[in-house]
Amino acid sequence: MPQEDHDLVFQKTCALLKVFNVNNIELTKDTDIATELEIDSVAILDLIMELEDSYDISFPMNLMSELRTVGDLVKSVQKLVSEK
Amino acid sequence: MSIFDKFGPLSDLYNSILEVGDDPFSVCMAEILSPTRALIDGREVLLAGTNNYLGLTFDPECVRAGQEAMAKQGTGTTGSRFANGTYANHKALEQALAKFLGYQYTIVFSTGYQANLGVISGLTGQGDTILIDADCHASIYDGCKLSDAETIRFRHNSPEDLDKRLTRLGQDGGNVLVIVEGMYSMFGDVAPVAEIEKITHEHDAYLFVDEAHSYGVFGDKGRGVSEDQGVLDKIDFYVGTFSKSLGSVGGFAASNHPEFELLRCVSRPYMFTASMSPANVASVLEAVHQIEKRPELRQTLWRNSSRLYDRLHQLGFELCADKGPIIAVKMPSREDAVTCWNWLIQAGVYVNLAIPPGTPNATSLLRLSVSAAHSVEEIEEIGEIFSRLAEMRRDAMPTSSDASAKSPLPV
Ligand SMILES: Cc1ncc(COP(=O)(O)O)c(C=O)c1O
Repeated sequence: MPQEDHDLVFQKTCALLKVFNVNNIELTKDTDIATELEIDSVAILDLIMELEDSYDISFPMNLMSELRTVGDLVKSVQKLVSEK
Repeated sequence: MSIFDKFGPLSDLYNSILEVGDDPFSVCMAEILSPTRALIDGREVLLAGTNNYLGLTFDPECVRAGQEAMAKQGTGTTGSRFANGTYANHKALEQALAKFLGYQYTIVFSTGYQANLGVISGLTGQGDTILIDADCHASIYDGCKLSDAETIRFRHNSPEDLDKRLTRLGQDGGNVLVIVEGMYSMFGDVAPVAEIEKITHEHDAYLFVDEAHSYGVFGDKGRGVSEDQGVLDKIDFYVGTFSKSLGSVGGFAASNHPEFELLRCVSRPYMFTASMSPANVASVLEAVHQIEKRPELRQTLWRNSSRLYDRLHQLGFELCADKGPIIAVKMPSREDAVTCWNWLIQAGVYVNLAIPPGTPNATSLLRLSVSAAHSVEEIEEIGEIFSRLAEMRRDAMPTSSDASAKSPLPV
């Protein structure tokens, strides 16, 4: 996937994460999803459903254990999109 | 660094709940007086959060069956179903359930939790896909974790969303298992099982329905939401628990699949745990008969549920689902839910408290479950206490549009 798509995935993910960013920190690829945002285990799964629908991909829950940061999430989405 | 450090935020939250009053998550029933009353902290409290839908925990026939079995067969089986832990009554219970539900095969597990773990992880493996309703119970999520299959959630109670996700998966998913519940445990809402059945089978997937809260409660004969919606014979895997309407502990799964019994030698949660105790098996066997013989229990349950639901609705509480034996009262915030829970227990009624993290849509709830064993007076009493709660809340909050109530503030 070209670079601009990478940025687009990042932007879209950040937009979806916005509601959980209660302390209004700057979201970067290194932002730790679980500890830096007010997001619980169910909400992150709901967000994955949104990403699945945005990109028409299946994002298995099994991948969750590998996700720590916003960057990890973006990379996973990109990978699934490229495998379509 | 302590091994518990990762629980820091949760521990802070827990402590802030303890500052409000009693600990909602370690209530001790010092004495159980009946299916609907207990002594808690030296006070007699009305129980409105027990999942004891038919009140069979003190049914004289069930108690007698349990006592006799314990006297004759001992206190425990000291072994797994797979080894020395299958007694004649475990088989008799499996046969009774199979006959009652109309399935060819039934397997009894030690708990409902293990039935879900055992069936999900036994059926699916690497290369397979599980689609679960987003609001499924923790035991279903854990069953998926124990399996090597890929798990995908679909939007709660949405056959259209399931259809979309199954279509998206195409032919790539291996064997596909779709999992829903009959009645959902938190909100008490009912799944559109008939529509989900149709879509699942259009996609050549298997359907698994957990009727934990709906067995004995829904359907003409009490066989659950699947019976109520006319698709009982189309469910591939039917799972239930003995810990709710059947008033004991244990779980089961039923199926018509000719190879279903293979699970007995591949399902680890079946094989590597001790079987149900003789007393539990015997009381459940009797409870299965009681449910079959006494449809009036179900009628009483629904009458009680309807009465309490109407009362709470009239009082202006926001209820999360249609009329049914689970009545979930939505609270505007976690703070509010904890405060009200404490007020209620002091006023003499126990309900379940459900707060985020982990609840659907981060909702905070006071969850009530109604029992056929509640007398009309007890239902009135619960209603009366809630009416005082409504009054107290009106006094405490003069403006109904409490702007801060929506933010996920710690308690
Ligand atoms: C939907 C559902 N499935 C399974 C279970 C587990 O049942 P048990 O308590 O028998 O382990 C529960 C309840 O606890 C439940 O609500």
